[in-house]
Amino acid sequence: MPPTLEPHTIPRPTIENETRSDEDLAPTYYVVCWNDPVNLMDYVTHVFMKIFGWQRQKAEQHMLEVHEKGKSVLIREGAEKAEFYVYQLQGYKLQATMEPAE
Amino acid sequence: MRLLTQSEGGWRYQLSRGEAQALRSLVKLFPIPANVAVKITKTDPDPQAAEREKLLNKSLAEHREELRRNAQPLISDDRLKIRGDRYVLSLGLDDRETLLQILNDIRVESWRALGQPENLDPLTNPPESERVHHNRMSLAGYFEHMLLNLEETRKAATER
Repeated sequence: MPPTLEPHTIPRPTIENETRSDEDLAPTYYVVCWNDPVNLMDYVTHVFMKIFGWQRQKAEQHMLEVHEKGKSVLIREGAEKAEFYVYQLQGYKLQATMEPAE
Repeated sequence: MRLLTQSEGGWRYQLSRGEAQALRSLVKLFPIPANVAVKITKTDPDPQAAEREKLLNKSLAEHREELRRNAQPLISDDRLKIRGDRYVLSLGLDDRETLLQILNDIRVESWRALGQPENLDPLTNPPESERVHHNRMSLAGYFEHMLLNLEETRKAATER
Protein backbone atom coordinates (compact mmCIF):
# COMPACT_ATOMS: atom_id res chain seq x y z
CA MET A 1 0.00 0.00 0.00
CA PRO A 2 1.23 3.39 -0.67
CA PRO A 3 1.94 5.49 2.36
CA THR A 4 -0.75 7.86 3.46
CA LEU A 5 0.11 11.37 2.60
CA GLU A 6 -0.24 14.05 5.16
CA PRO A 7 -2.91 16.53 4.09
CA HIS A 8 -1.64 19.98 3.53
CA THR A 9 -3.36 23.24 2.77
CA ILE A 10 -2.59 25.17 -0.31
CA PRO A 11 -1.99 28.78 0.67
CA ARG A 12 -4.56 31.19 -0.60
CA PRO A 13 -3.23 33.29 -3.42
CA THR A 14 -2.87 36.93 -2.59
CA ILE A 15 -4.74 39.11 -5.02
CA GLU A 16 -3.12 42.43 -5.46
CA ASN A 17 -5.19 45.43 -6.27
CA GLU A 18 -5.71 45.67 -9.99
CA THR A 19 -3.47 48.32 -11.46
CA ARG A 20 -4.00 50.24 -14.63
CA SER A 21 -1.42 52.15 -16.58
CA ASP A 22 -1.67 55.89 -17.02
CA GLU A 23 -2.66 55.24 -20.59
CA ASP A 24 -5.63 53.13 -19.45
CA LEU A 25 -6.75 55.87 -17.10
CA ALA A 26 -6.38 58.70 -19.60
CA PRO A 27 -9.64 59.97 -21.05
CA THR A 28 -10.56 58.81 -24.52
CA TYR A 29 -12.42 60.69 -27.23
CA TYR A 30 -14.67 59.87 -30.12
CA VAL A 31 -13.64 61.47 -33.38
CA VAL A 32 -16.94 62.48 -34.95
CA CYS A 33 -17.61 63.65 -38.50
CA TRP A 34 -20.71 65.84 -38.94
CA ASN A 35 -22.90 66.23 -41.97
CA ASP A 36 -22.90 69.34 -44.12
CA PRO A 37 -24.42 70.03 -47.51
CA VAL A 38 -21.19 71.11 -49.18
CA ASN A 39 -18.67 68.27 -49.05
CA LEU A 40 -19.22 65.83 -51.91
CA MET A 41 -19.95 62.23 -50.98
CA ASP A 42 -17.08 60.92 -53.13
CA TYR A 43 -14.75 63.39 -51.52
CA VAL A 44 -15.73 62.38 -47.98
CA THR A 45 -15.19 58.70 -48.85
CA HIS A 46 -11.82 59.54 -50.33
CA VAL A 47 -10.75 61.46 -47.21
CA PHE A 48 -11.73 58.61 -44.88
CA MET A 49 -9.77 56.13 -47.00
CA LYS A 50 -6.77 58.44 -47.06
CA ILE A 51 -6.67 59.34 -43.38
CA PHE A 52 -7.66 56.05 -41.77
CA GLY A 53 -6.39 53.70 -44.47
CA TRP A 54 -9.84 52.10 -44.72
CA GLN A 55 -11.10 50.03 -47.61
CA ARG A 56 -13.64 51.79 -49.81
CA GLN A 57 -16.55 49.77 -48.39
CA LYS A 58 -15.88 50.84 -44.80
CA ALA A 59 -15.24 54.43 -45.82
CA GLU A 60 -18.52 54.51 -47.75
CA GLN A 61 -20.44 53.08 -44.78
CA HIS A 62 -19.21 55.91 -42.57
CA MET A 63 -19.83 58.48 -45.29
CA LEU A 64 -23.42 57.26 -45.66
CA GLU A 65 -23.89 57.33 -41.90
CA VAL A 66 -22.77 60.96 -41.88
CA HIS A 67 -25.10 61.73 -44.76
CA GLU A 68 -28.17 59.90 -43.41
CA LYS A 69 -27.82 60.25 -39.64
CA GLY A 70 -26.07 63.59 -39.44
CA LYS A 71 -22.86 62.25 -37.95
CA SER A 72 -20.62 59.23 -37.68
CA VAL A 73 -18.23 58.18 -34.94
CA LEU A 74 -15.09 57.37 -36.87
CA ILE A 75 -12.70 56.19 -34.19
CA ARG A 76 -12.04 56.24 -30.43
CA GLU A 77 -8.63 57.41 -29.35
CA GLY A 78 -6.64 59.15 -26.60
CA ALA A 79 -6.52 62.94 -26.64
CA GLU A 80 -3.38 63.32 -28.70
CA LYS A 81 -4.36 60.96 -31.51
CA ALA A 82 -7.93 62.22 -31.56
CA GLU A 83 -6.62 65.77 -31.90
CA PHE A 84 -4.40 64.70 -34.78
CA TYR A 85 -7.29 63.05 -36.62
CA VAL A 86 -9.48 66.12 -36.14
CA TYR A 87 -6.67 68.27 -37.52
CA GLN A 88 -6.32 66.03 -40.55
CA LEU A 89 -10.06 65.89 -41.24
CA GLN A 90 -10.40 69.64 -40.80
CA GLY A 91 -7.41 70.09 -43.09
CA TYR A 92 -9.58 68.48 -45.76
CA LYS A 93 -12.41 70.80 -44.70
CA LEU A 94 -14.63 68.11 -43.21
CA GLN A 95 -16.54 69.09 -40.10
CA ALA A 96 -14.92 66.93 -37.44
CA THR A 97 -14.74 67.21 -33.68
CA MET A 98 -13.52 65.17 -30.71
CA GLU A 99 -16.05 64.36 -28.01
CA PRO A 100 -15.35 62.80 -24.59
CA ALA A 101 -16.04 59.08 -24.74
CA GLU A 102 -17.31 58.84 -21.14
CA MET B 1 -11.81 66.37 -68.88
CA ARG B 2 -10.64 62.80 -69.21
CA LEU B 3 -7.96 60.56 -67.80
CA LEU B 4 -5.17 59.89 -70.27
CA THR B 5 -2.80 57.73 -68.27
CA GLN B 6 -2.43 56.48 -64.74
CA SER B 7 0.71 54.97 -63.25
CA GLU B 8 2.37 54.51 -59.89
CA GLY B 9 3.86 57.97 -60.33
CA GLY B 10 0.60 59.78 -60.90
CA TRP B 11 -2.01 60.82 -63.44
CA ARG B 12 -2.27 62.67 -66.73
CA TYR B 13 -5.57 64.32 -67.58
CA GLN B 14 -6.72 65.92 -70.78
CA LEU B 15 -8.59 69.21 -70.42
CA SER B 16 -10.32 71.39 -72.95
CA ARG B 17 -9.11 74.95 -73.28
CA GLY B 18 -12.11 76.19 -71.28
CA GLU B 19 -11.49 73.68 -68.50
CA ALA B 20 -7.82 74.60 -68.29
CA GLN B 21 -8.65 78.29 -68.07
CA ALA B 22 -11.31 77.65 -65.44
CA LEU B 23 -8.96 75.49 -63.36
CA ARG B 24 -6.23 78.13 -63.51
CA SER B 25 -8.61 80.94 -62.52
CA LEU B 26 -9.99 78.87 -59.68
CA VAL B 27 -6.66 77.83 -58.18
CA LYS B 28 -5.40 81.41 -58.43
CA LEU B 29 -8.21 82.41 -56.06
CA PHE B 30 -6.75 80.28 -53.30
CA PRO B 31 -6.79 81.01 -50.45
CA ILE B 32 -10.20 82.59 -50.16
CA PRO B 33 -10.20 84.41 -46.79
CA ALA B 34 -11.51 82.10 -44.07
CA ASN B 35 -13.33 83.93 -41.34
CA VAL B 36 -14.79 80.98 -39.48
CA ALA B 37 -12.77 79.59 -36.58
CA VAL B 38 -12.98 75.82 -36.37
CA LYS B 39 -14.53 74.21 -33.29
CA ILE B 40 -12.71 71.23 -31.85
CA THR B 41 -15.63 69.91 -29.79
CA LYS B 42 -19.38 70.32 -29.39
CA THR B 43 -19.76 68.81 -25.94
CA ASP B 44 -16.47 68.83 -24.03
CA PRO B 45 -16.62 71.29 -21.11
CA ASP B 46 -12.94 70.70 -20.26
CA PRO B 47 -11.07 74.04 -20.16
CA GLN B 48 -8.21 72.30 -22.00
CA ALA B 49 -10.48 72.04 -25.02
CA ALA B 50 -10.21 75.80 -25.56
CA GLU B 51 -6.44 75.55 -25.65
CA ARG B 52 -6.66 72.62 -28.05
CA GLU B 53 -8.99 74.61 -30.26
CA LYS B 54 -6.54 77.49 -30.40
CA LEU B 55 -3.72 75.17 -31.41
CA LEU B 56 -5.94 73.45 -33.98
CA ASN B 57 -6.79 76.76 -35.65
CA LYS B 58 -3.13 77.76 -35.67
CA SER B 59 -2.13 74.42 -37.25
CA LEU B 60 -4.88 74.71 -39.86
CA ALA B 61 -3.71 78.22 -40.77
CA GLU B 62 -0.20 76.83 -41.27
CA HIS B 63 -1.60 74.01 -43.36
CA ARG B 64 -3.42 76.48 -45.61
CA GLU B 65 -0.22 78.47 -45.98
CA GLU B 66 1.56 75.32 -47.12
CA LEU B 67 -1.24 74.64 -49.60
CA ARG B 68 -0.92 78.21 -50.85
CA ARG B 69 2.79 77.70 -51.52
CA ASN B 70 2.01 74.53 -53.47
CA ALA B 71 -0.97 75.91 -55.37
CA GLN B 72 0.67 77.91 -58.15
CA PRO B 73 3.13 75.18 -59.26
CA LEU B 74 0.15 72.87 -59.86
CA ILE B 75 -1.16 75.10 -62.63
CA SER B 76 2.19 76.22 -64.02
CA ASP B 77 3.02 75.70 -67.69
CA ASP B 78 5.12 72.67 -66.69
CA ARG B 79 2.15 70.82 -65.21
CA LEU B 80 -0.63 72.16 -67.37
CA LYS B 81 0.82 71.97 -70.86
CA ILE B 82 -0.86 72.98 -74.03
CA ARG B 83 -1.09 70.22 -76.68
CA GLY B 84 -2.72 71.51 -79.84
CA ASP B 85 -6.15 72.78 -78.86
CA ARG B 86 -6.15 70.76 -75.62
CA TYR B 87 -4.25 70.84 -72.35
CA VAL B 88 -2.56 68.02 -70.43
CA LEU B 89 -2.43 68.21 -66.67
CA SER B 90 0.24 66.02 -65.04
CA LEU B 91 -0.16 65.31 -61.35
CA GLY B 92 2.01 63.25 -59.01
CA LEU B 93 0.47 61.34 -56.09
CA ASP B 94 0.89 64.22 -53.65
CA ASP B 95 -0.06 66.80 -56.26
CA ARG B 96 -3.51 65.36 -56.75
CA GLU B 97 -4.10 65.30 -53.00
CA THR B 98 -3.00 68.92 -52.74
CA LEU B 99 -5.19 69.96 -55.66
CA LEU B 100 -8.20 68.18 -54.15
CA GLN B 101 -7.68 69.98 -50.84
CA ILE B 102 -7.31 73.35 -52.56
CA LEU B 103 -10.45 72.83 -54.65
CA ASN B 104 -12.46 71.69 -51.67
CA ASP B 105 -11.19 74.58 -49.58
CA ILE B 106 -12.44 76.98 -52.27
CA ARG B 107 -15.76 75.15 -52.40
CA VAL B 108 -16.28 75.19 -48.62
CA GLU B 109 -15.16 78.80 -48.13
CA SER B 110 -17.43 79.94 -50.98
CA TRP B 111 -20.30 78.13 -49.24
CA ARG B 112 -19.41 79.86 -45.97
CA ALA B 113 -19.31 83.20 -47.78
CA LEU B 114 -22.92 82.49 -48.83
CA GLY B 115 -23.88 82.01 -45.18
CA GLN B 116 -23.64 78.20 -45.16
CA PRO B 117 -27.03 77.55 -46.80
CA GLU B 118 -28.60 74.10 -46.46
CA ASN B 119 -29.91 74.28 -49.99
CA LEU B 120 -27.09 74.63 -52.50
CA ASP B 121 -29.25 75.26 -55.55
CA PRO B 122 -28.80 78.90 -56.48
CA LEU B 123 -31.87 81.04 -56.88
CA THR B 124 -32.96 81.66 -60.47
CA ASN B 125 -31.36 85.07 -60.45
CA PRO B 126 -29.03 85.34 -57.49
CA PRO B 127 -27.51 88.74 -56.84
CA GLU B 128 -24.10 89.24 -58.42
CA SER B 129 -22.42 89.13 -55.01
CA GLU B 130 -23.78 85.60 -54.51
CA ARG B 131 -23.47 84.38 -58.07
CA VAL B 132 -19.70 84.49 -57.90
CA HIS B 133 -19.65 82.17 -54.88
CA HIS B 134 -22.14 79.77 -56.46
CA ASN B 135 -20.00 79.63 -59.59
CA ARG B 136 -16.85 78.93 -57.63
CA MET B 137 -18.57 76.19 -55.66
CA SER B 138 -19.87 74.51 -58.81
CA LEU B 139 -16.57 74.70 -60.62
CA ALA B 140 -14.57 73.39 -57.68
CA GLY B 141 -17.09 70.57 -57.25
CA TYR B 142 -16.84 69.71 -60.95
CA PHE B 143 -13.06 69.34 -60.84
CA GLU B 144 -13.14 67.42 -57.54
CA HIS B 145 -15.68 65.03 -58.99
CA MET B 146 -13.59 64.52 -62.12
CA LEU B 147 -10.34 63.97 -60.24
CA LEU B 148 -11.98 61.39 -58.00
CA ASN B 149 -14.15 59.59 -60.50
CA LEU B 150 -12.32 59.41 -63.81
CA GLU B 151 -10.10 56.73 -62.32
CA GLU B 152 -13.12 54.66 -61.23
CA THR B 153 -14.86 55.13 -64.57
CA ARG B 154 -11.76 53.93 -66.35
CA LYS B 155 -11.40 50.91 -64.02
CA ALA B 156 -15.01 49.97 -64.61
CA ALA B 157 -14.58 50.29 -68.38
CA THR B 158 -11.47 48.08 -68.30
CA GLU B 159 -13.24 45.41 -66.23
CA ARG B 160 -16.18 45.21 -68.64
